[in-house]
Amino acid sequence: MALVAMFLLSCSSGKKPDEQAFEDSLDSTLNKGASIDEEVIGSILDQIPSPLEISVLLEKSGIKYNADLLNSPDNLPRYNSNYKMALNLGIYGTDLGYTNIYGQNQSGIKYLASIKSLANQLNIGQFFDIETIGRLATNSKNLDSLLLITTQNFNTINHYLQQQNRSNLSVLLLTGGWIEAMQITCQVAASNPSHSELREKIGEQKITLEQILLLFSFYEKDENMASLLKDLKELEAAFSKINITYTYNESSMEVVDGVAVIKDNSTSTIEITDEDVRNIMSKTNSIRNKIIS
Amino acid sequence: MVGQCDADNLSNACIPKLTSGFNFLKSYKIDGLGGAKDKVEYSYVFTKGTQYMINLCAGGNGPDGLVVSLYDSQRNKVASSKVNDQFISAIAYPCNATGIYYIQYTFDGSATYCGGSALGFKR
Repeated sequence: MALVAMFLLSCSSGKKPDEQAFEDSLDSTLNKGASIDEEVIGSILDQIPSPLEISVLLEKSGIKYNADLLNSPDNLPRYNSNYKMALNLGIYGTDLGYTNIYGQNQSGIKYLASIKSLANQLNIGQFFDIETIGRLATNSKNLDSLLLITTQNFNTINHYLQQQNRSNLSVLLLTGGWIEAMQITCQVAASNPSHSELREKIGEQKITLEQILLLFSFYEKDENMASLLKDLKELEAAFSKINITYTYNESSMEVVDGVAVIKDNSTSTIEITDEDVRNIMSKTNSIRNKIIS
Repeated sequence: MVGQCDADNLSNACIPKLTSGFNFLKSYKIDGLGGAKDKVEYSYVFTKGTQYMINLCAGGNGPDGLVVSLYDSQRNKVASSKVNDQFISAIAYPCNATGIYYIQYTFDGSATYCGGSALGFKR
C-alpha cells in the first residue's frame, strides 16, 4: 500500500524542472550553427550495448543480488536539473534491469516510480507504460514480458528524443546507464577477483567508452557536458593500457530449424591488469558519485 | 506505384518472433524506399561470450528477398542470412570477438523493399 501511495505521489507531482540552462545552452549552440548532426548521433547511440547484458551475465554467473550496488530510488529529490534527471534516469534504468533480472520485484517497483517521475519531468513520461510494467512486475513468471516492455519503452524514449532534437538528453540517459553498469561490474569484479570474464567485461568497455566520448564531442560547448567529458577523458586514460587484440578468421554456418547458425572463428583477447581494474573502478566510482549526489 | 512501407509495424512484429530464451535489444526498420536505396545499415557493439539473434520480417511468408549480413569493424563479412541461394529469416551469432559490428540489410529480388528486424541476445 505504501508503495502504491509513493508511486502515485511521484507520478502526480507534475513538478517542472527547475533548471532549463542545460537545454537552453544547447539551443543557443544550435542557433549559432554548431554542427550537431542528429542522424550521426543517432547512429552512434544505437551502437551502445544494453546494460541488461551485464545484469544477465552477472545472474548467469551465479553472482548474488546486492541492492547496495545500486543508486537508491529514494535519492530522487536530489535531481532537479534536466542534466541530472537524464543521467539518473539512465542509472535507474540500469538498476531496474538489474532488479528485474534477479526477480527483485518489490525493489523494481520502487525504481519504476522514480523512473516515471524523472521521465514525467523530462516530458517523456508518456512513453513509459507504467501501468503495464507495474502489473507485470507483480509476478516473477512475467519476467520475459517485463524485460521486453521495459527495453521497448527506453528505446522509444531514445528515438523520440532524437526526433525532437533533444539527443543531448538521450546521450546523457545512455551514459548514465552505462556508468551504472560499469560501476556494478567493477564492484562485483573486485569482490570476485578470480572471475576472469568480469575483468574482460570491464576491459572491453574501452570500445563503448570511445563511442560515448565521440558523442560528447558534439556537445563540448555545453558547460555540464563539458565537465562530464573531462571526467570521461580521465576514465579513458585509465583504459589506455588495456590492449584489445582482434583476429579475423572466416566464419562458417549451417541452417538449423530455419535459423542460419554462425560458427564464429574470429577471436578477441583483452589484456587487463589488476592495477587497470583498480584505476578504472576508482574513476568510475568518482564519476558515478558526482552524478548521483 | 510502390505502396507505403510500414517498417515500424514490421519491426515491431519481428520482436515476438525472436526465439524463446533471447532477450530483446533493438528493433530495426528496413525501408528501401521502393528500391531507391540498395541497403540499410545499423551498428551495435557485440560482446564475446554472448549469442545474438537477428531476424527478418517482410509481411508475408518468408523474408521477401531481404538479406541481413553482419560485418566486423574491419568490414569483414561474418554472417549472412542468404545461404546457398536460400533466404533464411533469422541468423544466430554466438560472438567470439568483442567489437563494433555492422548489421546491413540488402534487397535481393525483393518485391516491396520493405521490412523489419529485431535483435536479441542470450548468455
